Amino acid sequence: MINQLKEVFSTLKVHKDGSNQLDSDYKWFATDKEEIIGIRNDELTSKDVSLLTTFLTPYNVKFPTPTQAERNWRKIIYSTDLGEKDWKPSHPFRFVYFSFNKNQIEPLLFKDAIEGLFDKQVPILWENEHEGFIIEQQMMEEESISYEQIIDILMSDLYVKITFFVGPYKKDMEDLTLYYHSLTNIAKRIFHYTTKSVLTYVEAIPFLLTKQTDEDLRLDISKTILQEYIHDEETIHMMDTFFQCNLNLSETAKVLHLHRNSLQYRLDRFFEKTGIDIRQFQDAMTVSLALLARK
Amino acid sequence: MAELKLVNVKKVYDNKVVSVEDFNLEIRDKEFLVLVGPSGCGKSTTLRMIAGLEEISSGDLFIGDKRVNDVPPKDRNIAMVFQNYALYPHMDVYNNMAFGLKLRKFKKDEIKKRVDNAAKILGLENLLNRKPKALSGGQRQRVALGRAIVRDAEVFLMDEPLSNLDAKLRVQMRAEIQKLHSRLQTTTIYVTHDQTEAMTMATRLVVMKDGIIQQVGAPKEVYDEPDNVFVGGFIGSPAMNFLNGKLVGNHFVMDDVKLLVPDGRLKVLKERGYDGKDIILGIRPEDINDEQVFLDFSPETKVSASVEVAELMGAEIILYSQVNNQSFVARIDSRFNISAGDTIDLAFDLSKAHFFDKETEQRIK
Repeated sequence: MINQLKEVFSTLKVHKDGSNQLDSDYKWFATDKEEIIGIRNDELTSKDVSLLTTFLTPYNVKFPTPTQAERNWRKIIYSTDLGEKDWKPSHPFRFVYFSFNKNQIEPLLFKDAIEGLFDKQVPILWENEHEGFIIEQQMMEEESISYEQIIDILMSDLYVKITFFVGPYKKDMEDLTLYYHSLTNIAKRIFHYTTKSVLTYVEAIPFLLTKQTDEDLRLDISKTILQEYIHDEETIHMMDTFFQCNLNLSETAKVLHLHRNSLQYRLDRFFEKTGIDIRQFQDAMTVSLALLARK
Repeated sequence: MAELKLVNVKKVYDNKVVSVEDFNLEIRDKEFLVLVGPSGCGKSTTLRMIAGLEEISSGDLFIGDKRVNDVPPKDRNIAMVFQNYALYPHMDVYNNMAFGLKLRKFKKDEIKKRVDNAAKILGLENLLNRKPKALSGGQRQRVALGRAIVRDAEVFLMDEPLSNLDAKLRVQMRAEIQKLHSRLQTTTIYVTHDQTEAMTMATRLVVMKDGIIQQVGAPKEVYDEPDNVFVGGFIGSPAMNFLNGKLVGNHFVMDDVKLLVPDGRLKVLKERGYDGKDIILGIRPEDINDEQVFLDFSPETKVSASVEVAELMGAEIILYSQVNNQSFVARIDSRFNISAGDTIDLAFDLSKAHFFDKETEQRIK
């Protein structure tokens, strides 16, 4: 196909792996074989571009040139041919969705910063100029770094607010397309429900289940469970903190700057008035869902 | 160097939660301003609005004379240090400090000049080739500060930078940050929930609660003259005692316990129409005395209290006690041998106490 196109567009060139950035004088496309080809802008009319787009994927010049690994991943995600999925990484992997505000940083800058954080080059699959997935392999790194820390370090270097949705680890390529689409779907919605900047798949589940419930039922649940405390922001904050501290009284008291006995007393009062003891797992889970339903 | 001004700044999240309300503050050039308050009070959100990481819902933010609401964070000439003093794990100290500048395409010799200068200021010259894993917690935090210093920014924004350190290191780093500030004289806005950190480091404190400024002032001013019950209770450790009672004649009365109110305080209370009304007495633990000379001098502010808990802190004892079924804490000299179960006489120094309105919890002044 490339040779045939060359006969029509004399300036056509194929982007070689390893060279740094794509020339912005060219319009770039990805072929179905994941090759990146460019044609000089002055050789293209708008009709040509429309026609080419019917069988080629426009390729954004602002994106870093995809590495071989990135092309492999994209190929596997979009392939329906099971044979394509024979290739698999040597370690379990997970997709980590990232998002930052539009037009705040160049994808290239982001890629450079991300590469500084990992021992090896990590594939990045860009959805658009401000969203995408980092594919992280599970390795026993001597010095690993949490995504909360990554946010702080990138905020101080790139001056940008980033959110991460961390997918679960996978060992094989089975259902990879489903995994990818499911994560994309959740990632794009989940940050509407929380102010957290990093959320794991496991942490996201209660949000998703609650938010899929009918609004009237949600209201009903929160009213029934929280009773007279439904508008008591101080108690709600106390319970939220208690859950975030894994039901640890001392830790919660420390975070809330309360004496442990005062916290104990407040939880006792809540129990006396509602019959719910959030120091017990089952009750804690129910109240936690009621708090989510209330938001 | 820069001054900052926040005018009627408000932050409302998508879910309609108001995080910061009507925030008005002028931050002076070279000042070390501390935003302090409990978690969820809006202090970090305020800092992030100044940084440009959170959008300002309404109001204006000025850096110098320029309104910067719509200026991208990278163009605000600020440098930030966060709680997770994370460093790039696979880079040495030099590159950790240099990386932000490399991303911004600074020239190599300029980067070297800035990193060497920051390393000298922070005493990191001999550690430049080390990776983070070979550094102590304090050294890592110094590198994190170095990453901010190399920016040569007009304003430093620090969000709980010491809260991940152990208690001993925190005290040490507190002093280092103060030294750094007096050397660089860069306007610094520092967020903490730790009132001790706030008191010891700030030129001025901003005490916040529920997204609203409660009081702004020098640490001593805020400690000595709290505007309301929250500030009185939040600043100081152990916290200020609050006792409910009524002003009857010349006395603060808690049922059968009567404390004589000094003339100056009494005049203000009466002028404000509190005679016969419920009020709150606020008194710091150190203003409750057990020394005989004080007890003899103030027989009409003396109470007899049963000690529930006595904590020996070394130079002092913290006594947990009750008067008229209301708990209070006293801090007394440890040369007196007191233990739980003892009944002792204590004199309340009401010349240093404050009175608060029962309804509004504002200080009566």
